[in-house]
Amino acid sequence: MVNLTIDGKQITVKKSATIYEAAKEAGIDIPVLCYAKKLLPYGACRICLVEVEQMKGRLIPSCTTPVTEGMVVKTTSPDITKVRKTVLEFLLVNHVVECPVCDKAGECDLQDLTFQYEVVKNRFEGEKFNLPTDEVNPLIERNMNRCVLCGKCVRVCDEIVGYGSYSFINRGFETKIATAFDRGLNCEFCGQCVSMCPVGAILPRPFKFKARPWQLSEVDTVCGYCGNGCTVTLGVLNDKVETIRFNDKTGVNDGNLCIRGRFGYGYIHHDDRLRKPLIRKDGQLVEAEWNEAIEAVVKGFNKAGNEKGLGILSGARMTNEELFLLKNLAKTLGTGNLDHSGGECYKGLTEGLMETLGVKASTGTFPQVESCDAILAIRSDFYETHPVFGMVVNQAVKRHDAQLFIVSDKKGKFSKLPHAKTLLGKPGTEIQILNSMAQVLLSEGLAVTDGVEGVEELKAALAKYAPADVAERTGVSVDAIKAAARALAGAKKSAILLAYGLPYAAHSKELAIAAANLSILTGNAGREGSGLYLCGEKSNSQGAIDLAILPEAGAMGAKDMLEAARNGNLSALYVVGEDLLTSYPDRDKVEAALKGLSFLVVQDIFLSPTAQQADVVLPASSFAEKDGTFTNAERRIQRVRKGVSSPGDAKTDFEIFELLSARFGRNISYTAPAAVFADIAANVAEYAGIQLDAVGPQGVVWGGDDLALKKKRVVAVDGPEAPQGDFLLVTGSSLYHSGTMSTRAKGSLSVVAEPYIEFGQEDAKKLQVTDGDVVTVKAEGGQIKLKAKVDRRLPQGVVFAPYHFASAEINRIYKGASAVAVELSK
Amino acid sequence: MSNAAETVQEEEIDLAAANEVIDKYMDMHGALMPVLQDVQEAYGYIPEPCVHLIAERLNVYTSQIYGVLTFYAQFHLEPRGRYIVRVCMGTACHVKGAGRIADTLKERLGIGHAETTEDLKFTAEYVACIGACGMAPVIMVNDGTYGSMTVQKMDEVIAKYKAMD
Ligand code: SF4
Ligand code: SF4
Ligand code: SF4
Ligand code: FES
Ligand code: FES
Repeated sequence: MVNLTIDGKQITVKKSATIYEAAKEAGIDIPVLCYAKKLLPYGACRICLVEVEQMKGRLIPSCTTPVTEGMVVKTTSPDITKVRKTVLEFLLVNHVVECPVCDKAGECDLQDLTFQYEVVKNRFEGEKFNLPTDEVNPLIERNMNRCVLCGKCVRVCDEIVGYGSYSFINRGFETKIATAFDRGLNCEFCGQCVSMCPVGAILPRPFKFKARPWQLSEVDTVCGYCGNGCTVTLGVLNDKVETIRFNDKTGVNDGNLCIRGRFGYGYIHHDDRLRKPLIRKDGQLVEAEWNEAIEAVVKGFNKAGNEKGLGILSGARMTNEELFLLKNLAKTLGTGNLDHSGGECYKGLTEGLMETLGVKASTGTFPQVESCDAILAIRSDFYETHPVFGMVVNQAVKRHDAQLFIVSDKKGKFSKLPHAKTLLGKPGTEIQILNSMAQVLLSEGLAVTDGVEGVEELKAALAKYAPADVAERTGVSVDAIKAAARALAGAKKSAILLAYGLPYAAHSKELAIAAANLSILTGNAGREGSGLYLCGEKSNSQGAIDLAILPEAGAMGAKDMLEAARNGNLSALYVVGEDLLTSYPDRDKVEAALKGLSFLVVQDIFLSPTAQQADVVLPASSFAEKDGTFTNAERRIQRVRKGVSSPGDAKTDFEIFELLSARFGRNISYTAPAAVFADIAANVAEYAGIQLDAVGPQGVVWGGDDLALKKKRVVAVDGPEAPQGDFLLVTGSSLYHSGTMSTRAKGSLSVVAEPYIEFGQEDAKKLQVTDGDVVTVKAEGGQIKLKAKVDRRLPQGVVFAPYHFASAEINRIYKGASAVAVELSK
Repeated sequence: MSNAAETVQEEEIDLAAANEVIDKYMDMHGALMPVLQDVQEAYGYIPEPCVHLIAERLNVYTSQIYGVLTFYAQFHLEPRGRYIVRVCMGTACHVKGAGRIADTLKERLGIGHAETTEDLKFTAEYVACIGACGMAPVIMVNDGTYGSMTVQKMDEVIAKYKAMD
């Protein structure tokens, strides 16, 4: 700790603090333009100059100067004011004066400082810039005439996002911020640069002319998309979410968001939102009142109960409180047939982890990953599934020199990180590669085996996974496998990341076990600062696992329910917040299952393809319209807060479950979600002792930062071979989308508007396919047509298609295998 | 993988030479500058596909490379003519009619500052004082200097280089 005096105030701060940070801690404001908490010190703008008694004769930039013992600092003086005024005058020489129309007015640092320092005239004259505005893309507008060259956009896109869109180009007076070849912006549109820019040079287009910042009321809540659980601040005006703002004071995301969180909120106020319940009459879905709809559901469920029974399939974007009610409703209805998205995928993963580690969640927290020495990312490029977690990995690599290994079938942004090693395997062969790494650990005596059950059996079973054999089968080099295994074994702190979700349904149990084996053998699981990270696809995937939205013993999970329905062995299905027809593997089977039912109820916010088949449709609320909690992929319980009211007669899932429960004779009358939370804490072991009031801005991580394991047991599993074929199709997430919901969000659609199939450059050349060509994809007796996109990241023989779009009907050919051999033709 | 930006047609170009240059410096610390210099040497300018290749192989952002390319006057992003005609626009030359010389060049060859004739024979460049003020107005063609330029002399110089290969 260091003692110093700032403006006569005695303060003590940690040694690594800068003068600026010390002053801030002491509540003393120093103006800054180029400084940002999450970026490395830069010191370019000079607005933060202060006087230090020990360094008389010149002014010192407070944002880059570290504190030293006994320092005496003055942050205001006539000299300082004069210099700051001059700095502002310089900035205003070229800066256009168009504040009246600038959306940043009211939160523009330059404007505020000009006001504060009363800069009313300028001693310097210069030509104003007259650069064209970049309006090529629909989301981010760049007007470089307003730029103050603070470099924050350049730095955030490099240091945090790892995309590197911008740099300073030209020199001298001509210097400006531009993309490569000075073209329009075309990037991942996370909007980090928007939130960093201290002036109105980079603006979010969807927010333009919507509201002045001071008119908006702010509501802190959690993003409704993925399991990263970023906190977002809704800017609400007239019961409408007009903006999503950057907020680095709450949550784990440091104010970082991805395109979905920042620009993908548009579905909330979509015209197509369901506003009234619908009941099928004479084959048509017609609007009805709630009591009529509830009566119809009650009648249908009762009838089903007397016939072949009822099943419930839920999504994973409901709050914990809602899931808890749903679980209880299932009991009231007397059915144990309950599952959440993905069925076999989620269930398999949880089972796999229970068998090995005895827990069913990530064992560490996201911030810990930043200081890991070695990171292994399995299957997913986290930039596509959990983009903001990807940014943490990026910082681990770039700032702390972590070694990064990626086991995947395609290259992504991770592969481009400095010194990243991509173990590029044939599609579907990840388990083999993990097994081989385990084999290396055991045969080279690097494995942690103390207190581990099943080591001998595993050793024997791994004989067929020697690196040389696996290299042959998967295409990954022997050296790469060995290097990855050794690095993980040698790391003091390591992270093993595993993404899961609907598009990764195949062999999920085996994959979880193979990853857990590796985690145990490297000493990763259960060690402080290390961990196995299980990253669910949706905002409350972990909550759904915690609250046991899974089949009861002896009852049916998703796959079995659909099978039973198809065979006429299940009468009714209650689908809550999921579009089975679009997102479940094997559309033909799902269709047959829905046809086989005598009664289908769908509760959702849109009339999805599945909802169109329903007998009763119940209109629900989006995340922005409710209170409660989500549990993210690192077990962090966070508050979801209501920002706007639901459209029309739509009700929250909470209210709908209450209504239904009451009609089935179980009157529950919770005053508010808080009361349910107390009930959860009393019933769900992991949540015991947690009080909703204690869930503050950083949330509460159940089980603590390092989750204690219940056991350590390695289990042998076999990994499949890659399918044979000239072209293998893999499906998954496209960065700009999440599940099927974002396909109603204008922001996401404006970047990726329609389904596509992606080719690597060599294959595209071979097949003479160029961007936009329509390609016929044949497999598994099905055939679909998709537009081609050509990119640089796919290895030869692999094609990729995102699974979000209903119209693509990817699941006509994607039936749940990790990869599908396809025939392609133009 | 987004479709947000304008589509840019990339020129077709043989990347073998660029790959060779990168191979040579690949493991060197601070390889970017020498790679760019040698690529320019090989192609006469820095073609866009080379920028992408360098970015990919050296693991540098294309934006950064572009920043470097625009910072140093030595780099050229467009194909350049075999003969670089530098017209001095320094004070002395300006006073003595550099403008007229530049206009003549524009009239005869149709190229202004930083422009190249379609047959890739000539590139015009307006530059600041080249240090031969005594002979103002001055032009240079590649390494040759021509002083006391007039419209007529300009025509002669152009004719001379046109006749050359
Ligand atoms: S939106 Fe994100 S990826 Fe695009 S330039 Fe800004 S920071 Fe970089
Ligand atoms: S665009 Fe904004 S963030 Fe980027 S350098 Fe200019 S002022 Fe700074
Ligand atoms: S989609 Fe995921 S990563 Fe993106 S903002 Fe939302 S929670 Fe964060
Ligand atoms: S904020 Fe310190 S120099 Fe810019
Ligand atoms: S001004 Fe032209 S050579 Fe000096």
